[in-house]
Amino acid sequence: MMGRKMRGRGMAASWYGIARTATIDRAGAWAELDDGGTGKIVTGVTEIGEGILTLLAQVAAEEMGIKPEDITIGDNDTARSPEAAHAGATRQTYMIGNSVALACRDARAKLDKELAEHWDVEADSIEAFDGEIWSKGSNLKMSMEEAVDICKKRGVVPVGSGSFTAHGTGLDPVDGSGSPWQAYVFGTQVAEVEVDTVTGEVQVLGIWAAHDVGRAINPRGVEGQIEGGVVQGLGQALMEDYQLEDGHTKTHGFAKYILPTSLDIPEINTVIVEDPDPKSPLGAKGIGEPALVPTAPAIMNAIYDAVGVRITSLPATPEKVLAALQAKAAAGQLEAAE
Amino acid sequence: MSEQTPTDLQLEFQINGRNMKRRAQPHQRLLDFIRDDLALTGAKEGCGAGECGTCSVFVDGKLVKSCLMPVAKANGTKIETIEGLAGWGGDLTPVQKAFHKTGASQCGYCIPGMVMAATSALRENPKADIEEIKERLGGNICRCTGYTKIFEAVEMARDVLSGEANAAVLEADGAGKSYIGNNVRRLDAPSKVAGRLRYAGDMVMPGMLHMQVLRSPHAHALIKSIDTSEAENLPGVACVITADDVPGEDGFGVFVHDQPIMARGRVRYVGEAIAAVTADDMLTAVRAASLIKVEYEPIAAVFDSEEAMQNGAPVVHDYAPDNIVKHIPIRKGDVEQGFADADLVVEQSYDTQAVEHAYLEPEAGIAYVDHDDVVTVVSPSQNITHHRHMLAKIIDRPINKVRFIMSPVGGGFGGKEDMIYQGMLALSAMKTGAPVRLVYTREESIISTAKRHPARITYKMGLKQDGRITAVSFRMISDGGAYGLSTEGVMRKAAILACGPYNIPNVQIDTYGVYTNNTPSGAFRTFGAMQSQFATESHMDICAEKLGLDPFEFRRINMMQNGAVTHTQQQLGSVSIGRVLEAAEKASRWETGPVSMRGQERADLGGDDTRPPCTLGARFRKPGDDDRQEVA
Repeated sequence: MMGRKMRGRGMAASWYGIARTATIDRAGAWAELDDGGTGKIVTGVTEIGEGILTLLAQVAAEEMGIKPEDITIGDNDTARSPEAAHAGATRQTYMIGNSVALACRDARAKLDKELAEHWDVEADSIEAFDGEIWSKGSNLKMSMEEAVDICKKRGVVPVGSGSFTAHGTGLDPVDGSGSPWQAYVFGTQVAEVEVDTVTGEVQVLGIWAAHDVGRAINPRGVEGQIEGGVVQGLGQALMEDYQLEDGHTKTHGFAKYILPTSLDIPEINTVIVEDPDPKSPLGAKGIGEPALVPTAPAIMNAIYDAVGVRITSLPATPEKVLAALQAKAAAGQLEAAE
Repeated sequence: MSEQTPTDLQLEFQINGRNMKRRAQPHQRLLDFIRDDLALTGAKEGCGAGECGTCSVFVDGKLVKSCLMPVAKANGTKIETIEGLAGWGGDLTPVQKAFHKTGASQCGYCIPGMVMAATSALRENPKADIEEIKERLGGNICRCTGYTKIFEAVEMARDVLSGEANAAVLEADGAGKSYIGNNVRRLDAPSKVAGRLRYAGDMVMPGMLHMQVLRSPHAHALIKSIDTSEAENLPGVACVITADDVPGEDGFGVFVHDQPIMARGRVRYVGEAIAAVTADDMLTAVRAASLIKVEYEPIAAVFDSEEAMQNGAPVVHDYAPDNIVKHIPIRKGDVEQGFADADLVVEQSYDTQAVEHAYLEPEAGIAYVDHDDVVTVVSPSQNITHHRHMLAKIIDRPINKVRFIMSPVGGGFGGKEDMIYQGMLALSAMKTGAPVRLVYTREESIISTAKRHPARITYKMGLKQDGRITAVSFRMISDGGAYGLSTEGVMRKAAILACGPYNIPNVQIDTYGVYTNNTPSGAFRTFGAMQSQFATESHMDICAEKLGLDPFEFRRINMMQNGAVTHTQQQLGSVSIGRVLEAAEKASRWETGPVSMRGQERADLGGDDTRPPCTLGARFRKPGDDDRQEVA
């Protein structure tokens, strides 16, 4: 028997490729260890909201041995910065992150060489973190500010550059064979829903999202990407629908084109799984796009679990769910009559 | 337009603690006045219709959507904007600091309005619980964050303000041993929570002109003539451009350059740009656009992707007489043999809809020609590298005389990968010698820019009784709309990922992107993979039910292992699908059981890690009082 409000759960798995598809992807960056022990990064792409600037500052800080807030990023300008190509394809962390890491290593190698001669130690004994630089196994230690000053007084500006490549190959035009990406991620989500069998309305009450992102550079940022992806997936699953009639849109504003708002948001429980990428310096992969992939099918599978109707046409609007429930009831009566 | 007219308003008001006496024009909304006249650009225009909340300000202490308030009504009021919360150079408020701490801002475009709404919520009820907070934020849309970190921020600020939590929770975490794996607070957040970050539509330059685009009312028509003379003669108009003004090789697109920067002899969808007017101010530009006379001859149009593939269907682009933008085939093994070997064959079709990106920042940009004769375009473009290449050809300039600057992007999701308006801006700047700004309205953004490809998918899966998949045949037809944009790449990614992370010995995949006279489809977060995997993952559950299997178990039987060979015959290294299946199953306390309508029998429902279902209006309560409270 069905009550008015029915609950159920469903799951869906997914996979995704990192960076540009079926082609060679590339990105470049420049780095400089600057006065005051600060760092300067220049690369050709900027923030679209995913947190890339913060992530690049973390990577640069780690590689240079300084603090993220001491990094200045010069970005976003085809006439002033090296090519980093586009902000999409879940490629920013993988492509730009790694090119920044390589550029910083290049800059640090120049600084370390000068400092090694200054201290009379081996360059590979030098380590740095959070604004301090030292020679391992000795008591030689100074601030990065001092180290940069010494390097420059020896006539060397510690600058570096980095270019990172991801080796995808094109697909065969006949059988589609090829190696489109060098890094893949996988994800699984579970959805819990409540279906109102009188109105057909579906509410998503919980999402559990487990995603492999490679090495997580900023776990909170990863969560933010997953939460945002889940809610876009929820919107597509239940309400969003760009409608045309003879080429004219019927949904030309947010009064007609319905988006998820605060009251539609499930409790989102994120599990970050780290399977580091072996082919890149950072081991990170990405999460921007893949977070959205399993949400809608998980919700449809949960609706089936709750009320036994299979919605195969998105979005599962109240009207569509109600019609499916009525069709199911009618079929049940027919069966009973036979 | 700037001279005083008899209808000008005289306003006296207080804004962010400062008394002001100003003149305003009666058609202005409060939002126009504070942004254009007072240069306070923290409040944004996201929709212009009171639906998104990006323009939220306080008027006499009440949260107001300033796009809905005529400026005349602001006379004698006290206005507070996002800039006034902390003040320039001042410390951020606890609400702003909490947004910074939790990562509640992503693109940041909705954030000034969201901070105002959150501040209002806690002013109205300092003890608001999470359910009330959610309801009080209900008038503000965020497209990036999924709201979760915003809720966390408002609760954190509430607890700090009430003294229940120490203010230290708002501060940064320590360095620890590494900055990798560290929740470093977003470096761009202070500028976003304080409303200081300027997006393209917030930028002004001395002598800046304004652009209005004239758009097609027809889905498919020949353009017989365009008469711009009356528009050009209107005082205040600097130039009117059409396709005839393009000096180079016109055409843009991510894979195929099939779209002119303005319609060239023929329009292919409703909303396509026909001409662009540049004038001293927006009103003049809008008026002039209405004076352009276009003579159209409507021709047969096609609105359904499967109809477009039939012989004799109207042809959208002459170079593609079959209307196919791209077909991607993938073949592995012998799919007929696979179905013959199966104990069970399951067929089903699936549909997905067109989806709007709905980034809160509508398209905007400024173009100018600099002192070294470099044509410069500042816009929230997701692909400045490629746009530079295309624009250089379109305006026939060397590549180092074309410069793209990527302004802060107020949400992209793939929708800002297309060079849909930058060409018009560049051309107008070249013609006028002045900086030119274009800001789309929400309606323009919705009708004229790319959507997620709608897809029709037919799925056939063969299975052994023990749960192993023997074969899949997958066919997806996608409506690419009137221009190619990213369709080729979307079809490719949809095809490669179509059959999911499963070992399937025999595979036949075909994806087709098709031209129609609908709004173009383009890049959108997942690039086709969402559509194809929606079908796969729905189909997996249908098959699991027929086999009497738990959905996790069924996927585990078929999942790829380390070293697996994919549908495109690529050998993988480490494969983490088993780990993520286990992690989701464990985290959700999944109760194992075969797929069926078993919701009412489950014991794993309604845990602490779910939210209660929502009943509208049930959450407003006065502190210490059970009565419902009306909220404006």
